[in-house]
Amino acid sequence: MKKLIIFLLFAGVVNAQSFTVKEISGDVKYQNGNSENWTSLLEGSKVSDDAIIITSDNSFVELEGKDVSFKLNELSAVSVSSIKKMNTDDLLLALAMEDMMNAPKEIEKNSDNTAVYGTETGQEHTLFIKSDNFGIKRLNGAVQLAKSDLLESAVVAARETYRKYPETKTISSYRIYFADILYEKGLYEEALDEFLDIQKLQLSENDRTVVNDKTESIKMKLLGE
Amino acid sequence: MITNGSILSQSSFGLNGYWGLSLNFNTPLYSYESNISNYSHLEDWGFSFLYGAEFSKSTNTNIYSISLAKTLEKHNLSTRFTPGYQKEFIFNTGESIIVEDTSAQSLTANFTYKELFGIGYSYKFTDQFNAGATFRFFTQDFSQEIVTPIFEDTLYLVRDTQEEKINFWKADIGVNYILNEYLNFSLASINLLNFGEKAENSNFEQFEIKRDLAALFGVNVTPINSLAVNFIYETTSSYQMSLNGYLGDLALGLTLFHDKYQEPTIAGMVPTISYKGEIFELFLSGVKYFSDRKKDFGVTGFLENGITNIINNPYSFDKVLLTVSININTIAKKSVEFIDVQVVKDIYPTFTDNYIDYPFAYAEIVNLTDEYVNVKPMARIEGVNEENIQSPISSIAPYDTAKVPFYIIVPETYVSDKAVLSYADFYLFVLSEQPDDQFQKAVLINSNNSWDGRVSNLQYFIKKDLEFSINYSKAVLSRNKTLLDTLHNELEDFYKAKILFYEFIKHLTYISDPRASGEYVQFPNETIELKGGDCDDLSVCYSSLLESVGIQTALVDYKANGKVRHVNVLFNTKLVPGQAKLITNNDTKYFIRESFDGKDEIWLPVEVTSLTNFETAWSLGSEKFNKEAINDLGIVKGKVAIIDIY
Repeated sequence: MKKLIIFLLFAGVVNAQSFTVKEISGDVKYQNGNSENWTSLLEGSKVSDDAIIITSDNSFVELEGKDVSFKLNELSAVSVSSIKKMNTDDLLLALAMEDMMNAPKEIEKNSDNTAVYGTETGQEHTLFIKSDNFGIKRLNGAVQLAKSDLLESAVVAARETYRKYPETKTISSYRIYFADILYEKGLYEEALDEFLDIQKLQLSENDRTVVNDKTESIKMKLLGE
Repeated sequence: MITNGSILSQSSFGLNGYWGLSLNFNTPLYSYESNISNYSHLEDWGFSFLYGAEFSKSTNTNIYSISLAKTLEKHNLSTRFTPGYQKEFIFNTGESIIVEDTSAQSLTANFTYKELFGIGYSYKFTDQFNAGATFRFFTQDFSQEIVTPIFEDTLYLVRDTQEEKINFWKADIGVNYILNEYLNFSLASINLLNFGEKAENSNFEQFEIKRDLAALFGVNVTPINSLAVNFIYETTSSYQMSLNGYLGDLALGLTLFHDKYQEPTIAGMVPTISYKGEIFELFLSGVKYFSDRKKDFGVTGFLENGITNIINNPYSFDKVLLTVSININTIAKKSVEFIDVQVVKDIYPTFTDNYIDYPFAYAEIVNLTDEYVNVKPMARIEGVNEENIQSPISSIAPYDTAKVPFYIIVPETYVSDKAVLSYADFYLFVLSEQPDDQFQKAVLINSNNSWDGRVSNLQYFIKKDLEFSINYSKAVLSRNKTLLDTLHNELEDFYKAKILFYEFIKHLTYISDPRASGEYVQFPNETIELKGGDCDDLSVCYSSLLESVGIQTALVDYKANGKVRHVNVLFNTKLVPGQAKLITNNDTKYFIRESFDGKDEIWLPVEVTSLTNFETAWSLGSEKFNKEAINDLGIVKGKVAIIDIY
């Protein structure tokens, strides 16, 4: 992480933007700025970058921005500010920021908590969990960011969701999915940290094999560097 | 009858040989002959005793000199008593008388020359340049038998004695210049000033010590530590050259001297062996002349040339001399000294702990010894501290320089409503209770309300007035006790913060910095009393009120970045992420921070200057925090800083 903090000094600026609702289907709502209420989103309306959009079952919304277009599928939630192109440097900065946000005198946390929260109902390979749990909707939104080739933003959104909705951190399928993005981006140290953390979860036989293989592979890569 | 003769008073010949400005020994420097400038290595007191034997036809022993010297900072004063510095001549006048028994008796003349005592003074202007003077007292006793005719009825011839005692002082000045450890020079006068009596008897006038004006020039070369080569030249054409070798505490010296009035060209030598102990020095010297001194001398030579020196002349004899010198140092040896001191911070009296954690000044110091030295630095600011404040002890390697930090304590009781220019005294202590060195520098002490613009230092304003805040908050919360009692425990901090905010803003007005000329921060009680303040004042006040009831806070520093710098407050609700729904439906309005014990907790940003209601202040705070700290990555880019109060 120290390397990351040094590196961040040279990073560029991340810009957010506003979007227009191009197409909408089903129940799609948004929450503007600091509002406590959800409002239905209408086709053609504009959403500012401080809004959150949420979709219900069998709903979707397609947003069009100046540089980016994005489709949010059912049972998902996304902060409009997350729909943006980031580079790897920005991702590293965002990851480093997690630690900097913490209160001082932090004590090393060795969590042995492997309890599973949320609604992981045996759909180990299904990324979209049909749930009203807002945290899971946030993760679904992050997955869709990744599928829209906004990989860095997806990882940042997922990490924020893990913090605000801790139960989502125990869902191995999401964790593996986003850890893989780190791996694919060549951020091996960050990916290794994530896979080692995932190893502490209660994993299916298949997931454990995947995670172990990945962990070993990253270690080999790091040793080869 | 003796009709002619001359004698020059002593010049550079010394009974311990010539050692230049030897850095190892002080004994040769008691010689006013070669050390006219009274140069000294003494740090305090010095005493020297020179005893010797002269080998004429018989062996005569003498106390040649007893010296005492004292150094006081850059001054050195010495005095010398020289009972052995004398020479007596007895001559037949060439006349004789025949007494009644018809035996002839020769008439004699007796001339005795003595240097009795002297004093010296010198001043070291710098480590390189020394100047001084010596004053020496001489006496001359002349006695000559004569025949006096008495004319009565019969002519009588009566043997009579003419006597005269003539005293005089002579003063000379000298300078020394030490170019470096390898080379130094000396320059001095000979017979610069003379004052005293003159001979009244014309028969003796011509035999007075001659005091012709002259000068001497000395050069000492030390090509290597263990060897020194010295040369001294007098404008009377006399010179000395010497070689000194050093073997630890032992030293060997050999001086060869040329005297215009002595034969052969190198008239003699002074070999010396010396030893230097902890406080004493021993010198064993010999004076060996290369011409035969035990023959009978005719009077002709004396009449033609006189003698050139009381203790070194054609009629002097070989000698053996032992000198014991004692160097007593009652002054603690200076082990370290300041090179420079740099005050790196003005003093802001409210930042009490700051000067305990961070130095307000750094000193560059040097270890003057060949051993490791533990230095105890201390400092005191006039008007702030009554006693010296000690900083951590530093260990410095031999002859090394080091940068030493100085810390200070500003007492809680210090109060000043205006800035004052004071000064700080810096001390270095090693072993004794007296400082080895001290230094003084000006320091600006600001008023209690002054602030250096660093948001991290606002914490001192928050903490300093905590007693007021405790009383204020208690009073507010007790008025809302009923509401608080009905709340779930876990929501207590959130509602306390909310209640305190409402009460706090009730009568307040936001004012941009009322003292625009400088950074000025109000203490919480001042903000409440004045009913207003700028973002610093309001954030300090609200944070202090929350801290006073045990709610953790942090200041958020939105750094200027070309715009106006801004500060607001983050506080810890103590709620865990899963409890966020208890206070909001919008997950962008709160932020998760891991506490020191590893627990994730919900923190809320509050824009204190909104002065409307808690919800608006919270919304504005989170909006700004989301945009500048999170989305723009301000925290990692250093544009936004979170400063925890405790």
